[in-house]
Amino acid sequence: MAKALVADIDKCTGCRICELVCAYRHFKVMNPAKSRIHVVRMPHEPTDAPIFCIQCGLCIDACPFNALRRDLKTGAIIVDEDKCTGCGICVQVCPYGAATLNPDSKKSLICDLCGGDPECVKHCPENALLYVDVETAAAYKRRLTARLHRRHLSPYLPDVR
Amino acid sequence: MAEKLYGYAGKILRVNLTTSKISVEPTDEALLKRYLGGTAYAARILWDRLPAGLDPLSPDNLFIVCTGPLTGTLIPCSGSVEFCFKSPLTGIFGETRAGGVFGPKVKFAGYDFIIVEGRAEKPVYLNIFDDEVEIRDASHIWGKTVHEATDIILDEIHNHNASVACIGPGGEKLVRYASIMVDYDRAAGRCGGGTVMGSKNLKAIAVDGDRDIVAADPDKFWETAMEGMKRVGKRRNTLGILGTIGGLAGLNEAGALPTKNFQTCYFEDAPKISGDELARKYLAKRRACFACPIGCGRYAGIPGGKYLTPLHEGSEYETAVMLGSEALVSDLEAIVRASYLCNTYGLDTISAGNVIAFAIEAFERGLITEEDTGGLKLRWGDPDVVLNLIDMIVQRRDIGDLLAEGVKRVAEKLNKDAADFACHGKGLEMPAHDSRGTGKSIAVQYAIGNPRGACHVHPSWTAMWDFSRNDMGLKEFGLPEPPKDRFQETGVNRGKAFKIIVSFGELAGILVICTQAIHGTAEENLNPTRLSALLSALTGWDITAKELLTVGERSYNLKRCFNVREGVSRKDDKLPRRQVEPLASGPTKGIKVENLEGMLDEVYEALGWDKKTGIPSREKLSELGLQDVAEIVWKKQP
Repeated sequence: MAKALVADIDKCTGCRICELVCAYRHFKVMNPAKSRIHVVRMPHEPTDAPIFCIQCGLCIDACPFNALRRDLKTGAIIVDEDKCTGCGICVQVCPYGAATLNPDSKKSLICDLCGGDPECVKHCPENALLYVDVETAAAYKRRLTARLHRRHLSPYLPDVR
Repeated sequence: MAEKLYGYAGKILRVNLTTSKISVEPTDEALLKRYLGGTAYAARILWDRLPAGLDPLSPDNLFIVCTGPLTGTLIPCSGSVEFCFKSPLTGIFGETRAGGVFGPKVKFAGYDFIIVEGRAEKPVYLNIFDDEVEIRDASHIWGKTVHEATDIILDEIHNHNASVACIGPGGEKLVRYASIMVDYDRAAGRCGGGTVMGSKNLKAIAVDGDRDIVAADPDKFWETAMEGMKRVGKRRNTLGILGTIGGLAGLNEAGALPTKNFQTCYFEDAPKISGDELARKYLAKRRACFACPIGCGRYAGIPGGKYLTPLHEGSEYETAVMLGSEALVSDLEAIVRASYLCNTYGLDTISAGNVIAFAIEAFERGLITEEDTGGLKLRWGDPDVVLNLIDMIVQRRDIGDLLAEGVKRVAEKLNKDAADFACHGKGLEMPAHDSRGTGKSIAVQYAIGNPRGACHVHPSWTAMWDFSRNDMGLKEFGLPEPPKDRFQETGVNRGKAFKIIVSFGELAGILVICTQAIHGTAEENLNPTRLSALLSALTGWDITAKELLTVGERSYNLKRCFNVREGVSRKDDKLPRRQVEPLASGPTKGIKVENLEGMLDEVYEALGWDKKTGIPSREKLSELGLQDVAEIVWKKQP
């Protein structure tokens, strides 16, 4: 069965090891700005969330240079660096802020699932990232979606900052 | 152009706040090869640049933001930053560390160090993104708390990915133990780093960047770093799950929990303020610093009631003891509130707690009266006394104005006897470990107080040896067996153990990584052998474990010489009277420090320090390549 990358965000401690690992496995440098996964730590609330491409493919249609295609084996979006001009349209259309541009080459940075063996999953010390069959992944996704319906984020309501 | 410095950023950012001049210079490779980076490199700058006797609050004091070669890299716990300066609290070398993501961001912006000098005419903050460095007006955030100011800064620079090191009203009002708060709640608490920032009218530094850190041998470095991650990551299930506060109950059982201004090391109500209690009732989640597989940070708050407190990272062990058992406070909700207030006001929780406990005892003895306190009765075990005093200190109101000067100055002002129960070393308030209850290594460490006064982790937690009986993978470097009885003082190879542990401990500050990465057991830490493998793969230099320990020793001795130049000698290497009197109760009742001078003799000898003066000998200094330093510290000596 096909697989998908999902997050169990309650487990994330916000250590950003995934960011370091992602950039290193692709570019052999330590630089979170070259990562395709980004941990967002919300101040004043108990949220540390790894944000990554969910492979929705909006950017594929939007790319004016046909630089993006889908890897049929993994379902991941693959950037053709020869065609990519760094125009930023993929970043513009990405609803999740998951697509970014490489600060040096200006080429599009979109999660390629490491060819079907995501390094971030292997090195997360909290097992907050999972690469699992799509049915299991769907259940995790439903939990995240359910979160959107929750009225309050925490019982810590009063703003006494 | 010099050859590429692998692992380092290769540049130093200099900011002169008096002239608003901003400049960039290359990091000195020759100096790096001798000092590696971090606090050692900064100590050399401070030694070279600061004249002896300089007022730490003068514009001429330097404020150095330090990273090290391992900061921001793939090694476990690389999310550290060190700040170095001459301390306004102690008048000697000041270094203070924080976690978070600030240190890595400084490196990703392309700098190994940021050196701030001078004093701005009005409040300012620095905003750094790679080569874009601006000095911005901070008039509108002067007076704001750390949490408020950090919110405003991130908002107005339009970059919530930046990291902010910020002072609160504590630093602005020059409370001598003001902290620098990083990413809201990670504290560089000790030595008054926030006070130095305040004296420079520097409210905050915001930094972000997108530059690479490159390893000389990328594959080897990856392999070594990941092995280290697995190794240190084992601490997740202990320190990570429990937090530093997780150790509180056990230390109490061992008779090592400082209580009632160090009168005893046993607190009956310890279970009420323990890590279990915090986790059960108030913990929202765990939070980790950058690249940390442990995750010891507690993200907690009090959801309602009298001590309503928003979520923040706390409380740590040190905080719970200093603002809890030391004042006999057994209400964890009040402690969490006190922890939050200190964070957001920018006060060191250790020094604040120590001063407050001292004030309560002074009140009990009639040295402080209701007239001084504006009518507040300072009583043991009253949480509101602690919370009120924190407010009074940060506003410098009534007795708070004096308490803001630190316990040493308060005691001097009150009367001669007050010094007996003012627990500090060289002016730095003692933290939540006792010279008697913990084991005698801590007594020596506090008495020598190098580099920064009575501190439990700088250069290292030496009690690892005789209290924890953890060899930290140092056996192969000659660490002797600890004594069977942790209270045995002399004749137990103490000097040799001390020298190895402090040389190793210095490395955390030099490479600028979290002390927790080296403090684990041999199976779960980075010992000198592993650090040398990491550093060699990263920098491309061939650095052996032994050479690393020598750099640590060089750093320790240079900092001592800095302090010697400021007037420190053996006569200052002492413990307050309270610490040589017997403990009042609990499992360690009656234990005291019997023969400090005997222990000091042994340790000086092992360190190669002159026993009469406590100054590193000429031979030792020239062995470490510090002949020029020796010339100066020995000039006035016989």
